[in-house]
Amino acid sequence: MASTFFLIGIGFVIGLAGWALFLWAVRSGQLDDPEAPKYRMLDDDDEVQNKPKKMDK
Amino acid sequence: MSVTERRNKEKLHCDHCQQEMEYSAAVTAVIDGQTRYFCCHGCLGVYELIHSESLDAFYQQRCDWQPGRPAFGKVDAREFEGNVRNDGSSSKIDLLLSGIRCASCVWLVEKALARLDGIVSARVNYATHRATIQWRTGEITLETILNTLAGLGYLPRPVRHGAQVEAFTEEKRDLLLRFGTAGFFSMQLMLIIAALYAGFFQGIETTYRLTFQIISWALATPVVFYSGWPFISNALRSLRNRSLNMDALVALGSLSAYFYSVAMIFTGGEVFFDTSAMIITFILLGRFLEAGSRLKAGSALAALADLQPSEALLVGEDGHAAPAPLEQINAGAVIEVLPGGRVPLDGTVTAGESDVDESMLTGESAPVAKAPGSTVYAGTLAITGRLLVSVTGNAHETLLSGIIRTVEEAQARKAPIQGVADRVAGWFVPAIILLAAGTFAWWRIDGAPTVTALMTAVSVLVIACPCALGLATPLAILVGTTAVSRKGILVKGGDIFETVSKTTTVVLDKTGTITRGKPSVTDTFDYGISNRFMQCCASLEAWSSHPAGQAITDAWLGERLPLDGLRVIPGMGVSGKIEGETWLAGSRVLLEKKGVTLDDKCLETTDRLEAEGKTTVLVACNGHVAGLFGLIDDLRDDAERMIEALRAQGLGLMILTGDNAGVARYIAEKCGITQVRSGLDPLGKAEAIRELKRSGETVLMAGDGINDAPALTEADTGVSFGTATAVAIDSAGVTIMNDDLTLLDTLVAHSRRCFAIIRQNLAWAFGYNLIALPLAVTGVLHPIVSALLMATSSLVVVSNSLRLRKL
Repeated sequence: MASTFFLIGIGFVIGLAGWALFLWAVRSGQLDDPEAPKYRMLDDDDEVQNKPKKMDK
Repeated sequence: MSVTERRNKEKLHCDHCQQEMEYSAAVTAVIDGQTRYFCCHGCLGVYELIHSESLDAFYQQRCDWQPGRPAFGKVDAREFEGNVRNDGSSSKIDLLLSGIRCASCVWLVEKALARLDGIVSARVNYATHRATIQWRTGEITLETILNTLAGLGYLPRPVRHGAQVEAFTEEKRDLLLRFGTAGFFSMQLMLIIAALYAGFFQGIETTYRLTFQIISWALATPVVFYSGWPFISNALRSLRNRSLNMDALVALGSLSAYFYSVAMIFTGGEVFFDTSAMIITFILLGRFLEAGSRLKAGSALAALADLQPSEALLVGEDGHAAPAPLEQINAGAVIEVLPGGRVPLDGTVTAGESDVDESMLTGESAPVAKAPGSTVYAGTLAITGRLLVSVTGNAHETLLSGIIRTVEEAQARKAPIQGVADRVAGWFVPAIILLAAGTFAWWRIDGAPTVTALMTAVSVLVIACPCALGLATPLAILVGTTAVSRKGILVKGGDIFETVSKTTTVVLDKTGTITRGKPSVTDTFDYGISNRFMQCCASLEAWSSHPAGQAITDAWLGERLPLDGLRVIPGMGVSGKIEGETWLAGSRVLLEKKGVTLDDKCLETTDRLEAEGKTTVLVACNGHVAGLFGLIDDLRDDAERMIEALRAQGLGLMILTGDNAGVARYIAEKCGITQVRSGLDPLGKAEAIRELKRSGETVLMAGDGINDAPALTEADTGVSFGTATAVAIDSAGVTIMNDDLTLLDTLVAHSRRCFAIIRQNLAWAFGYNLIALPLAVTGVLHPIVSALLMATSSLVVVSNSLRLRKL
């Protein structure tokens, strides 16, 4: 019967992880605007990547 | 011209903003060995900054950039401090950026900010020009951020939030958290409870049973006290106010099951934590759906509000335009509207020409051509050209802000039918609590164990929860008014929408409502004195500003002849010489005064035309009658279709007009309306409406002039048009923005459908209670089944109301 408690425990932990993910998603506004992200990918441009942070002369 | 002089006149484009300038006026700088030209030191500064941050890619990527100076200005960080949201280690702010011209601007702002130390994230929304910036508190000051933005030529401004939408979003997010939490714990709970149910039937060791019971207790607690908190606190509040509401039923149902179960853990009985949790979960689902549809309506409003720019290009005395916040601009100021820009304030065009997209106000998709003298409205989009606009009112007096106020007002007003549900809830709730208590007592006395009696009582409480009843009306009205507003019909309130649906007679104003509001030529009599009669008349009348003169000019499409010695006699007519012949056109009185002899044939025709309600214009050439015109203000193209559609709905029709009987009769016959009242002054129109109402009719009046205002107020429903005078719009309950008459029919039909659906909703909600309550009292329904049924009932009402989204 110990396995029962073990399985319940596992199920609970997985569920808890899902809940935590959900809380994070709602709190950080992931679910606020389902429209914008599809346009964002068009903006990104990494032509200037790996440049120094500041060019001090 | 010397070489230098020619050079000085040469046109250059600013290397940053691409505005055209003369060589002599350019600011030059050598950057990395290359000479660069700028229109001002501001652009030079921006270029240097972008270059030093090695963000030059900006200049390669921008493709849809419209030449124009960046928005420079001073930033006062204190103005923004109220908008900073601080949560411990990080701070956040929403800003409105001026000067965003293309997608590359978004890229530039995001990259430039991301390079600052202490910035967590920077996001710019291209469509709304809003930036959301998050930074670690203390590592960077707000002032640095704002000055970086201003240095790049994007002047930050505080965001004026649509408070209502903000509140809606917050509410929806809160509900989502509560519902999601309830859903998660309820699912876990069901697993444990399933084990307990199985144990109940097959036997279970006491240790396991107790462990499972304690786990289910732990799982149910957050659902009842976190997710269910809004119900509990509302119930407590309503208890204090001694007016029990629907939430009291939910709270009572859930809490009684919860505390009973807690007691059972200690006494060794069966637990019902699942009941207490599922009630909350299902009802939260209903609330969440409702909040979603309310948010949708609210965001339509916010979208309207976002159309109005927050600043305008104010043209100073030196003729240069500089950005200025709207609050500082008053009537009389001149502002510049660039192609692709939104008009910030209502005004009259003083210079420039452009096609303007007014679809956001009128629903009409074709752009409207604007030239000096035309009126432009805030929020509309100038497409092709640059306009100079003389402002006619401040930011709160625009048509757009009037519309927003109207819609806000509308959503706050309740329909009378809604009062029914509220009144019912007043006595319904205490009655149900009594019924539940009675059920409990009856089952106990009957010898049933406490648990059965209690579960039955909980069932009664849950099943009776009049959520569907509460949703039935407001939701349908919300969906219904939002649907018509997409067509350009603004209804000022649910009560007005209800009255529209009861309309029995539609009263129409003549001028401007069923007629065009400007005359056109219907009869032309040419007595053959001149072989260029029409051409001469049109050439002459081209100089008259009278609507009749315009109509005659419009009737001739050919070339105009030059005119000498023009004389305009205001309100009477016009005279002048064409190729040596003296022409005179005007009213009969004018011609008689000028000594023109009018023969019998001419007088007879004039009398006949006037009896038909036509305006006559007589024309004389060299002192002899050359011909005459009959003009009438004819039916609008869509008038007949509208009248037919309204009649098909079984509505009575009537025309009211201030014009004489002849005109009224002509129009009435033409569109087939038998009831006509003519020669009325504004108060006479109102009196006519009162008479109709006394005879038991519910009157809808459509009109567009100041003279219709009293009648619009007097009628059960007043309908005005977007092109109507402001007074007419204010006194009407409904405004049709795009002047499309056939929408009158849509309005009536849709309001009728809306109230039919409300009646269905109410019938369903009452009927459901009527059938389910006896089942609950007799113990047929388990509390969980009751909760499920109740949620289904709410869903039925919600989906029935959503049918109104389609017109």
